[in-house]
Amino acid sequence: MPIYEPLTSEKVAVVLDIGSAFTKFGFTSEFAPRNIIRSQVRCKNTNTIRRLYDFQSAEDLYDLLVEFIHTIFFKYALISPKDRPVVIVESLLCPTLFRESLAKVLFLQYEVSSILVLPSHLVCLASLAVDTALVVDVGYKEAVVIPVGFGLPIVQTWQALPLGGEAIHKNIQVLFNNTSTGAQNLSEEVLEDIKVRCCFVTKKSRADQLALPRSDLIPVPDIKYSHRGSQTLTVNGKIREKAFEILYEEDNDHFCLSTMILDAMLLVDRDLRNILAENLVLTGGTCMTPGFKARLKEELLKQLSNDRYRKLNVKQFKFHSMPCKENYASWLGGALYGATEFLGMKSVTKEFYLKEKHLPDWINLKDVESARFGSDVTSARA
Amino acid sequence: MELGDVIYNKTEYVETASGNKVSRQTILSGSQNIILQGKVIVQSEAIIRGDLANVKTGRYCVISKEAVLRPPYKKFSKGVAFFPLSIGDHVFIGEKTLINAAQIGNYVHIGKNCIIVMVFNMRKDLENLEEFLKASSYDSINHLSPIKTLFLKYVMYWELCYMVYILVQGRRAILRDCCVIEDNTVLAPETVVPPFTRYGGSPGIQIGELPECQADLMIDYTRSYYQHFLPSKSA
Amino acid sequence: MSYITGPEYVRYACTCGLLKSLPNLYFCRHCSQLRCGFCVCPEVDSIFCGKCSENIPSAEAKVKKNKCANCLICPSCQQDLSTRIASKGVVNPDDSKSPAKKTYYLSCYFCGWNSRDVGIPDQTSPTGGWPERENVHSNRLQELLDSYKQIMLSQKQQKENDKKKKFGKFVSYTDRTGITASALRKRIGIPDIPHAMLRKPKLPESSTATTEVEELPDKFFTQEIDLLEVTTIEQRLLQPESQPVTVDKLFPAHKQLSIKKSLRCRHCERNVSKPEYNPNSIKFKIQLFAYYHIPEVRLVKVGDLKRGQPCEIIIKFTNPTQHQTTITILNLDLAEQERYVEEQQMMDISENLEVLSLQFKQPTSLPSLPGSQPSSLLSLPPRQPHLTIKSRKIKQTVNSTVEIPQSVFILPPRDDAAEYDDSNDTHNIEDDSNLVIWRKSNKVCIKLLVNIHEGETIGEEVFCGFTMDHVYTNIIAANFENKQPQKLNHKVRIFLNLGKM
Repeated sequence: MPIYEPLTSEKVAVVLDIGSAFTKFGFTSEFAPRNIIRSQVRCKNTNTIRRLYDFQSAEDLYDLLVEFIHTIFFKYALISPKDRPVVIVESLLCPTLFRESLAKVLFLQYEVSSILVLPSHLVCLASLAVDTALVVDVGYKEAVVIPVGFGLPIVQTWQALPLGGEAIHKNIQVLFNNTSTGAQNLSEEVLEDIKVRCCFVTKKSRADQLALPRSDLIPVPDIKYSHRGSQTLTVNGKIREKAFEILYEEDNDHFCLSTMILDAMLLVDRDLRNILAENLVLTGGTCMTPGFKARLKEELLKQLSNDRYRKLNVKQFKFHSMPCKENYASWLGGALYGATEFLGMKSVTKEFYLKEKHLPDWINLKDVESARFGSDVTSARA
Repeated sequence: MELGDVIYNKTEYVETASGNKVSRQTILSGSQNIILQGKVIVQSEAIIRGDLANVKTGRYCVISKEAVLRPPYKKFSKGVAFFPLSIGDHVFIGEKTLINAAQIGNYVHIGKNCIIVMVFNMRKDLENLEEFLKASSYDSINHLSPIKTLFLKYVMYWELCYMVYILVQGRRAILRDCCVIEDNTVLAPETVVPPFTRYGGSPGIQIGELPECQADLMIDYTRSYYQHFLPSKSA
Repeated sequence: MSYITGPEYVRYACTCGLLKSLPNLYFCRHCSQLRCGFCVCPEVDSIFCGKCSENIPSAEAKVKKNKCANCLICPSCQQDLSTRIASKGVVNPDDSKSPAKKTYYLSCYFCGWNSRDVGIPDQTSPTGGWPERENVHSNRLQELLDSYKQIMLSQKQQKENDKKKKFGKFVSYTDRTGITASALRKRIGIPDIPHAMLRKPKLPESSTATTEVEELPDKFFTQEIDLLEVTTIEQRLLQPESQPVTVDKLFPAHKQLSIKKSLRCRHCERNVSKPEYNPNSIKFKIQLFAYYHIPEVRLVKVGDLKRGQPCEIIIKFTNPTQHQTTITILNLDLAEQERYVEEQQMMDISENLEVLSLQFKQPTSLPSLPGSQPSSLLSLPPRQPHLTIKSRKIKQTVNSTVEIPQSVFILPPRDDAAEYDDSNDTHNIEDDSNLVIWRKSNKVCIKLLVNIHEGETIGEEVFCGFTMDHVYTNIIAANFENKQPQKLNHKVRIFLNLGKM
């Protein structure tokens, strides 16, 4: 950095939330990410776009991350990463290989001074200022439910199912295959675009009727979707309504999005259940679909009458509304945490990393001592 | 890979004292306004519209087959004004590319079928443009004599440009030194392409960076292109 | 010319084990080693706007959130927006001489979007005053942030206090006498104010959850949707704060700034590339690119690739330097490289052990052997051990072998004037005519024979490789100490893709 940079200005930290579809990037103490970009890089050898999560080996992932972090810093952040703190917001269920590779890239390749790793389910509550809530994160690859009780994620009750954007895209393709419109093998981008612009989460009453083989439902109007310039594709009303139904179709084990939430509640302490039911927080891009919240509420209430959940003794569900868009709620939490002294107190420094050669993780017994991430902000309040 | 020799028909090309090699099968309108600085190759069926405004190229430029160079224009309240088009040294312009830019720097590589400063009014279907280009590939008029075909093409190109001009008043793009425009790129009006960038797509966006020694690569490329552009021995 | 467009046929192995084409490599003169984008450390050199080509100081860029203050991009197609003159209404209709008032609006030449579509009023100045939109939640979030900051600060202070308390029981004289400020206050009758440290920071108001949720509007079931009215995900994400769903809420965004970056060798911390400040300049202050230092190898001709019979390939060498060099073709020894990588790893491990053992030993050895301390301090590295990128094994496998020629050949220095020199240059170089088939100024073509390995199937790509040993003349030592330029033999492994069998 040039010398004339004001001496008083602290080095603001970069906050990164690398999702499987989109990466949220910005700086601490700002209230919205600077950019939300796709988690992908252009492979120089083959000149194709590759997603970060489609890595083939550890070395391949390392190379992809080097390229990706390079774009983050030199195309968007426009600062040298050397000796800068970085805040990473990640899911508690993030694969060890991924977080270790990321740490290796940041510390060894880009020589950042420290990394603060924050669990996404916990930090997304920061913008609400609540410390107990049931956090439902519906992203691209999977939906993950983790209850947070008094500032601590109750990790042992986690629930995860591969219900997210990817599953919906696949579902749309299946629905197209059934309609014989000739729309085979649509690319992921087209499917995503159809999902975003045409589809919505319908009401429960209509969904039940749609599931019937024949019904006298007035169908939703079709949409002419122009595709590759000249071709038009008819996205019929059924597809538009049924795209998101995959979230509520129970699988062989009778699991779906609504049961995940209730199952997580079953696993927590009896006294906590009602509090959690009255503090539901939805994050992740898929939650932004029109009608998502309303339908989830309907589904939850319906499931309550199920024998499995009668003992929950929950009467109603209350939802929080975020002071931000759901797709960057976790990022915002990271930006708030990173703006406080927490950054200096809890981050993993380069010296520590060089000595230990790994990032502390809650799953690693060796790090149990340091796994109390995040408990401090909220416990101070209690 | 080393470039192979490109053999041309000696009768087709005129070689000037400064080393320019210009095909006779080209349309250089307003030739008094066209300046080729030397060692420039203008291949067959290229169109340079010197009648609209000055067109100046640097040394060692390659203007490939069926490329069209039109000076940029700007619409004023009292009509339209054309501005000179200047092209730097060591510039390669690919086949069937339409150039409407104001300024092209040194060491620039432009691929095939590009449209630099193309204007289109269809918000939804940028691909329509490709359709139009495909439709205007003139396959049906092969029975005409070559020179007539060329004129027809010229008229069609001119129409294309004219249509564009009616719809929106297009203006200058600027291509700075050392940039690469990939094949089939459509660059929006007034785009500025910074040095050491690779642009592609429709609308053209930056898709990559270039190595720092790009200038020398282009020098080497255009020079060896010129050296390998040889007349046939039989003629 | 494969560098600019096509695939790369000739790739050089960087010191770190990655294969790159020559223009993407750097040559650190100080370490006399090849470096690639992976093993140099990039730094932001200057920040500029690609549209208006103006340099922007980093502090200003920070304030402006890395966006150009003047240039706007289209929210619909993300191309640059242009300012257009809207009308020339006369301010005062009575006075015909009063200057016409111009108003301006923004328009995209590519997709036709304009600022009137979304109801942005026309502006009187062409450069700006375009309305910016605030984050609607910023007040609440700022409040939260402030209180979080306080909480953490007090916690930090408390921690520090706890540490302090261990030392003395009485902090000040008044504490010892029992006449504290608080006691005095009580005696006089002024209400006691608690110590700043003890005061608990105010907690932010937590948000409350509701049972009411946004119902899906009924229009979804009946209304026809015009897709042109609904934004795509890219358009939404361009404005992360608002993420508009319909096109009438799209507002112009500021253009992202770009940077020029300088590169530093990780090994010796010296620059290998430093651009000039001017955004339009393509010149460099420091340019240690391999293209200017390492002989370039280019495939000229590949004979028939058939199994069982040697294939003749012609490759061209070009010397980019001002010094004559001698080139020897050697065997591609991949095993040696693997050994080298393994050795490095071993060294790395042993170094770590040393560091660890030092840490364990030092406390015990300090009191017993005070005399040894100075020497151990001297031996310690002056700063942190440098982090170098670990070399890795070369991944590329070869399925053919190059017959190594017995003789060497000379590459004369580059001569820029030679281009204008039509006379055949006579370097009087005695060449092995079996090897060298053509020579002109600093360029030489040689012929090599390649044998494809047994067991390769038709249609497979043939790779071969060799090690090029060239004499590199290093002039920096000469500049510093007035010595003769240093000559050293530098070896590079080169891989050729000969195409399909």
